[in-house]
Amino acid sequence: MDNSILRLPAEQLFEDELNALIKAETDPVPEGWRMSPRSVKTYICGGKVGKTVITPKYIGHERLVEIAIATLVTDRALLLIGEPGTAKSWLSEHLTAAINGNSSRVIQGTAGTTEEQICYSWNYAMLIANGPSEQAMLKSPVFTAMEEGAIARVEEISRCASEVQDTLISLLSEKRISVPELSLEVPAKKGFSIIATANTRDKGVNDMSAALKRRFNIVVLPAPETLEEEMDIVKTRVEQLSGSLDLNAALPKDKVIEKICTIFRELRGGETLDKKQKIKAPAGVLSTAEAISLLCNSMALSGSFGNGDISDDDIAAGLQGAVVKDDKDVVAWKEYLENIMKKRGSEWSGLYRACRELNE
Amino acid sequence: MSGVNFFGIRHLSPAGAFFLREFLIETKPELVIIEAPMDFEDAVSDIVRSETKPPFAILAYTQSVPIRTILYPFAEYSPEYQAIKWCDENNVKLKFMDLPSETFLALSDERIREAESDIDENNNQDEQDGQEAAPDQKPDVYELLSEKSEDGSHETFWERTLEHCENAEAYHLGANLFGANVRELSEKNGIDEKETALREGCMRSVIRSAVKDGISPERIVVVTGAYHVEGLKTWETDEEMPTFPKLPSLHTLMPYSYYRLSTRSGYGAGNKAPAYYELIWNGLCKNDRFYAANAYLSKIAEKMRVSGNAASSAQVIEALRLSKTLAQLHGGNIPTLRDIRDAATTCIGEGSFAAISAAVADTEIGTRLGEIPEGVSRTSIQDDFYRLLKELKLEKYRSVTAQELKLDLRENLRASSEKSAFLDLNRSYFLHKLRVLGIDFAQLIPSKQDSATWAETWRIQWTTECEIVLVESALKGDTIELAAAYEIKETVENTGDISVIAKAVEDAFCCGMSKAAGYAVNALQAAAADNIPFYETAKTMFSLSNVISYGDIRKADCSAVEPILKQLYYRACLIMSASCICGDDAAKETANAINMINSVELAQGFLETEKWTKALSEVSFRDDLNTVLSGLCAAILLERNKITNDELKTEVSRRLSKGVPADLGAGWFEGLAMKNRNGLIARLSLWESLDDYLKELDDEEFKRALVFLRRAFADFSSGEKDAIAENLGEIWGLNGEEVSEALNAPLDAASQQVIDDLSGFDFDF
Repeated sequence: MDNSILRLPAEQLFEDELNALIKAETDPVPEGWRMSPRSVKTYICGGKVGKTVITPKYIGHERLVEIAIATLVTDRALLLIGEPGTAKSWLSEHLTAAINGNSSRVIQGTAGTTEEQICYSWNYAMLIANGPSEQAMLKSPVFTAMEEGAIARVEEISRCASEVQDTLISLLSEKRISVPELSLEVPAKKGFSIIATANTRDKGVNDMSAALKRRFNIVVLPAPETLEEEMDIVKTRVEQLSGSLDLNAALPKDKVIEKICTIFRELRGGETLDKKQKIKAPAGVLSTAEAISLLCNSMALSGSFGNGDISDDDIAAGLQGAVVKDDKDVVAWKEYLENIMKKRGSEWSGLYRACRELNE
Repeated sequence: MSGVNFFGIRHLSPAGAFFLREFLIETKPELVIIEAPMDFEDAVSDIVRSETKPPFAILAYTQSVPIRTILYPFAEYSPEYQAIKWCDENNVKLKFMDLPSETFLALSDERIREAESDIDENNNQDEQDGQEAAPDQKPDVYELLSEKSEDGSHETFWERTLEHCENAEAYHLGANLFGANVRELSEKNGIDEKETALREGCMRSVIRSAVKDGISPERIVVVTGAYHVEGLKTWETDEEMPTFPKLPSLHTLMPYSYYRLSTRSGYGAGNKAPAYYELIWNGLCKNDRFYAANAYLSKIAEKMRVSGNAASSAQVIEALRLSKTLAQLHGGNIPTLRDIRDAATTCIGEGSFAAISAAVADTEIGTRLGEIPEGVSRTSIQDDFYRLLKELKLEKYRSVTAQELKLDLRENLRASSEKSAFLDLNRSYFLHKLRVLGIDFAQLIPSKQDSATWAETWRIQWTTECEIVLVESALKGDTIELAAAYEIKETVENTGDISVIAKAVEDAFCCGMSKAAGYAVNALQAAAADNIPFYETAKTMFSLSNVISYGDIRKADCSAVEPILKQLYYRACLIMSASCICGDDAAKETANAINMINSVELAQGFLETEKWTKALSEVSFRDDLNTVLSGLCAAILLERNKITNDELKTEVSRRLSKGVPADLGAGWFEGLAMKNRNGLIARLSLWESLDDYLKELDDEEFKRALVFLRRAFADFSSGEKDAIAENLGEIWGLNGEEVSEALNAPLDAASQQVIDDLSGFDFDF
């Protein structure tokens, strides 16, 4: 593996696991896939193949993973919906890595995404010089996925303008792309499908049309159900990330992870975990993904400026940034500090003091 | 191998039922032995009648109190039911081999007594699974199974491997193996082990005696829970039968519902989705393995459309494909309930189960009710119940969906016969009797219109519990009327509280049972002579007053009740002031009583108002009684216009004058505010007095008064508070809106500080 690359795609990061699964394959493999649906599930939910241990990539809700995989087997397109930070993109990346060994056929949906980016565009120099030809055509990831019988990913589909979203309707129902300039019709090969992800809570999203929604099987990814589950996810991801980021700091202790997850869950849910007290919830989403990046941040702080052990000050700085996104959040955060954290006893007092100092 | 054919089943299993039939056709046995209490054999002739429609149940109940019951439910797809029907169609001998129900009842009684200290878990009805292993060990074994199975659920495992079996042989072998494994897995404990051993011993002896009677073992088919197959294989060894405990009991057939079947799944033969299982059964009969999945998804779509949501055939097709793929992921071909439901969630519910949950409940559980032909194996009280239902034209209300029934108790002048003229009144009598018996068939909805003594609204819903309680009531009498009379008599005899007796009187009048009412009135008369606490008196008066108000319309003779009410009324007026010497906790009850007596006095014209106002005035003007109650009495007097504005003003300043402890003053005000708030708010002079009072207090006193006044105003609505603010504004010469705004504005830091300081204030001295 090339260590100088900041973020390796899943199929390279977990190459050994994928190879082990392919080698040990006993079940029938659908056309265009590299392994059987069952192996895909093992790759994502974890398990063991021969001597290779498969690390779980998605924790909790195995059934949802099964539904997602089964959807792709039936040649239906898959739409993953959820709040920010519920591992939608993560799951879609790993699904394509396992099924095709290539998770890089991605279209990133933005307000500026155009129809050409979803179908095809032209190399205009060549177009002008030689006229329309296949060489002058720039194929989109969806186009190549159709040609190769593979899966393309459309990230943040709800950020695209509605008319751009609707381009997908004909692609998904006809399963072919037409290039009128070359009077060409490219039918999709078996194995072609699309995994799209969409956000439910962010601002600046365009609602998907009912027609488009009908072309997808929809899987809603929930926020982790229990504190333990969330801690598990945070721990695994922080371990993986700190390895590839060279953070020079010790991994956070379980207690620290528990504190962070508790704070996040309480602020997210608007009540304490024991359900005895109501809390003003800040406007931010406070996703699991943010908890992960907060901890990595704290590790970086302590690795670069501290003694390598995460201190309360390191966490406090991260927390402040994660929770307080606008002026109103300051009030909510202060109230949380005074009414909840202050009364939690000695174990929390260090963190409380560090947080309060930042708000003096 | 013993030669006897053992067919292991699960008690509610479509595939089991279907393949058992095939197996019977193939083996053509001479005798079929079924695992069911042997004394239930006499119910068979009724079970096979064409008018009997599953789901139904056999209910066995003890003949003495405490009543214990056990239930044996049957659905269309119960293997036992199909076996019974097959035997009847083909004239094959049938035998039941399990312990008699008397023994089950005795055992369950024993268990309940032992667990008496534990929580009372649906005691008497949860023993239906007497059929299968044993209730206590269930969770462990089946949890273990769930962990071991690839689906993570033993339920899905069973459905995938056995309900979707290819043929009879596979089911036969599979179920027997399953039973053997569960048996191995289960750790036994105490009574269950004893019970299982006892039952299997009994079953073995039945097989043995059948063989002794000259039927060759190969020609016997034994239908039993898969769990017991291993235990029964040793039937040949002679053994001595232990004696069983017994509780004298009777049994009867009763209609059952799918809803009930799903909620009491109990042991491993969970049947959380009876309507879905019926679909599997239909599919098997049609020889279409995918019928259940197709029908399930189409039904969901249909129900979604009926409720106004979009659900297209395309979605159904996609859901079907997805469910099949999900099944394949687990190595099956035919989707299980879980696969189908998840597919429906994804494709029809757009990923959210909540969107389809109502349709799912309808499709999986359904509202089917069983039917039993008239006059079959019922207790006489059941017969009476159904006869009355018919007579009173209430039959259409016997359904599992709740329906509302509005009754007009007045005579219908346009009706042709007397019977139909008083139909609603008779219905009311009947429903009240059921209420008295604790049969939860109809619930009286409190009327919003107090004056309409002739109107009643009931919410009627039939549940199997109704039937069970009904059968239990058989001990009280042979007809509904007799049982209700017995219940009322019982209540009167077993209580010393006069208010309970009065309630019984009220009940008796509601039921239109004059004899029982007479009996209760006599008891009441006797009790009324005793020394009765004030609150009890008030409650009793309230009940009696109801009887008198409603008596006319119910064609009841209340002449005996009036003198008792009068007597109680005089007594209440006399003892009221003495009862008002009490602490604040007791004052709540007393206040309640005063309000009740007040409404009785208002409702019954024959009571002397004079006496009541006198008693009220006494309490209101005396200083040595509980101040809250004094306040309340003043409020009632005010309401009844017995106090003038000036008198009130004087009273306010007297009560709130300097020197009277602040909590007493505020307590009085609290009592005053309990009644007729709008009247209070409208009296400007009152607020002036209150304002003057507050001005006189020093800081320390003010803090005390603040707390009590806050309490007095706590349950004023914001509209009422606004009105008060307006009054105060008037007094202070300010604009009402400004005052209201100032009062509703958030606290600034300084006032917050003041209030925070107050939290340390000790109010208890």
